[in-house]
Amino acid sequence: MLLTYVDAIRQALAEEMRRDPAVFLLGEDIGIYGGAFKATAGLVDEFGPLRVVDTPLAESAIVGAAIGAAYTGMRPVVEMQFMDFIACCFNQITNFAAKSHYRWGAPVPMVIRGPVGGGVHGGPFHSQNPEMYFAHTPGLKVVEPATARDAYGLLKSAIRDNNPVLFLEHKYLYRRVKDEIAEDGPATPLGLAAVARPGRDLSVITYGAMVHLAVETAAALAAEGIDAEVLDLRTLAPLDRAGIVATAKKTNKVLILHEDTRTGGIAGEITAILQEEAFDDLDAPILRLTSADTPVPFSPPLEAAFLPSAEGLKAALRRLARY
Amino acid sequence: MTPSPELTAADRGANSEREWFEDLRLERHAFTIRRTRREGKIAYEWSGEITDPPPLRESGKLDRAQCLEIYRFLLMNRIMEQQLENLYKQGQVVGGVYFGLGQEGNSVASAYALDAADWMAPMIRNQGSLLVRGFAPRDVMMQYMAKAGSPTGGRDGTSHYGDLGPRRMISPISMLGDLIPVMGGICMGERLQGRNVAAMTWIGDGGQSTGVFHEAVNFAAVQNLGLVLVVENNLWAYSTPLNEQAKVADLALRARGYGIPAVMVDGTDVLQVYDACRGAVERAHGGGGPTLIESKLMRMKGHAIHDAAAYVPPDLLEFWRRRDPILRFEGYLQQKSWLTAEAKQRLAAEVEQFMLAERAAAEASPMPDGNTALSGVYCEPGCHAVQPRFEAAAPALEAANGSANLTAVEGDAPHLR
Ligand SMILES: Cc1ncc(C[n+]2csc(CCOP(=O)(O)OP(=O)(O)O)c2C)c(N)n1
Ligand SMILES: [Mg+2]
Repeated sequence: MLLTYVDAIRQALAEEMRRDPAVFLLGEDIGIYGGAFKATAGLVDEFGPLRVVDTPLAESAIVGAAIGAAYTGMRPVVEMQFMDFIACCFNQITNFAAKSHYRWGAPVPMVIRGPVGGGVHGGPFHSQNPEMYFAHTPGLKVVEPATARDAYGLLKSAIRDNNPVLFLEHKYLYRRVKDEIAEDGPATPLGLAAVARPGRDLSVITYGAMVHLAVETAAALAAEGIDAEVLDLRTLAPLDRAGIVATAKKTNKVLILHEDTRTGGIAGEITAILQEEAFDDLDAPILRLTSADTPVPFSPPLEAAFLPSAEGLKAALRRLARY
Repeated sequence: MTPSPELTAADRGANSEREWFEDLRLERHAFTIRRTRREGKIAYEWSGEITDPPPLRESGKLDRAQCLEIYRFLLMNRIMEQQLENLYKQGQVVGGVYFGLGQEGNSVASAYALDAADWMAPMIRNQGSLLVRGFAPRDVMMQYMAKAGSPTGGRDGTSHYGDLGPRRMISPISMLGDLIPVMGGICMGERLQGRNVAAMTWIGDGGQSTGVFHEAVNFAAVQNLGLVLVVENNLWAYSTPLNEQAKVADLALRARGYGIPAVMVDGTDVLQVYDACRGAVERAHGGGGPTLIESKLMRMKGHAIHDAAAYVPPDLLEFWRRRDPILRFEGYLQQKSWLTAEAKQRLAAEVEQFMLAERAAAEASPMPDGNTALSGVYCEPGCHAVQPRFEAAAPALEAANGSANLTAVEGDAPHLR
């Protein structure tokens, strides 16, 4: 089947629910309406309102209930209507779920999934990338697929994982990217990066919608004789340290690209890993290209100035190639 | 000594008109606490009359053996907390100690109303409930002492532990209110596996002010989940009195806003607490949804061991000292001729002895090895099996409110096995 990113998510949800009666969904407007982005469209008809639960508008209660259900052996999948609203249930995630296994050996097999990211003029409260609040919290896993195939395969792994997993779906990609996906296809393991484009001269380490910017920019730069490798992290926690180090050792030059804001973004962590594990292999300073340290602005020209751009990436990669 | 003001027939009439609301109390605790200025200092002032309480309200649900078992848990709870205070004074406790003095009856009788298949999550003062649920006093002590043998191996303190196994107890976290939606989720998970269970937890007069309290009670109401929420109105949240916490004096009234039943009880009357909780548990088993129980009592010590509670007016303490839940229950047992003076002495000595052995065992546990701190952040493959237990006859998932076709859980209290 040729599936878009959002259809691939729905396909994975449906297959996991068919496979395992412990999987159930809860969130706002996910039943008859099918979710704000239609990621759960039609699922209530197949699985009924007890397994596709339309909840009150109450993020702490939703995540809290998912944690409780997980303690009884269920595998709840929570939809955040927009990941920006995850701020409302920060405590349930970081203090209740994340620390549960460490503190008292009680696993919380729960997925919280929903749309992140900008480029669609959603403004300050419908465009954020909240991954680093959670990647910083021991006990959580944080995943963000860039392709429809990974959205499908990683979501399956996230649901089967015994830990709380934040599954960040880039809303810009929902209907813009497609892949051929076989029914009941394989799960993609968490914690492993993937080479989205092999190259010899330099590496762009990125994730989410920025993978596409990187791959397109790399194709454009090939004409200039710059052969860029693009590494798609796919999982931000736990990070694939080996994959990161391998690409740096291969090309000896690294730029880290992310749509998240600059200070405290994953680029800083990756830079530190490379200093620790690949210092002798580096031929150039590690560069980073990120969104600006501001809230996500609403008006299109403002948002364009805020986000990393193709031009900005080209310029940075040319600079890196010159070393 | 003045008798306490009893509820009048008119009060009861007004209550019975409200079907969602039941008041089991036999007396009104008529006093006020106000902020005043005295000699240049702002302080809390008590006005009221120090009265004696009425006898307990007959239950009819508890027999002699059950009452004596409850009484034993009450003694254990109190003596254990005295032991904890001693351990603290000897410098053997890491951090502070929290007490439930004056609230033991509420902690023990509520937990006692649960069946083995039900779930429970304690708050910090409900140390008696831990004993009822099958944890040993040594567990409670080791947890305060941060020992290797503690239920969390020293990873967390106080009442922060649980058991997904036979004791079916969820570990609280420090953030007040956050346990409530989790307990609702327990009922949701169990219902999806074909069972209606009760999930009990407690919240203070302070904790009920949180936003998550509202989210969670509303969620449980809408989803018809068997949450049994005991609001322990002990008049203080750390140093903040009730009237600075809420504009309603009766927190049970909040239930009306959620469309769920409420029961108000005297939290120093073990039998009222049991009856209200057992009723709520049975409602949950029958798929009847959540119940809010307001238990009126008094925190008889400071917030924690460091707090002398100098802000509490002494007369208020005197009023409640006459309502010691254990002494009141003893009075009931004696009046029923279920506890002779001799049997009482024998039991007290036996519990004292047992508690000393528990304490010795706790003291003997080593401190944890620092290297154990680094493992277990994630649940790795092979470390825990997550295993739902679906009932053979799977529930009709389309059932309107999710509860009609489900099996209720049979009565089988763990402590009676
Ligand atoms: C959300 C939150 N805020 C603040 C605290 C700090 N704190 C711990 S106990 C407490 C008072 C609680 O009062 P109450 O809920 O009435 O329970 P009680 O101690 O009287 O049993 C406070 C302020 C906390 N644990 N959680
Ligand atoms: Mg209180």
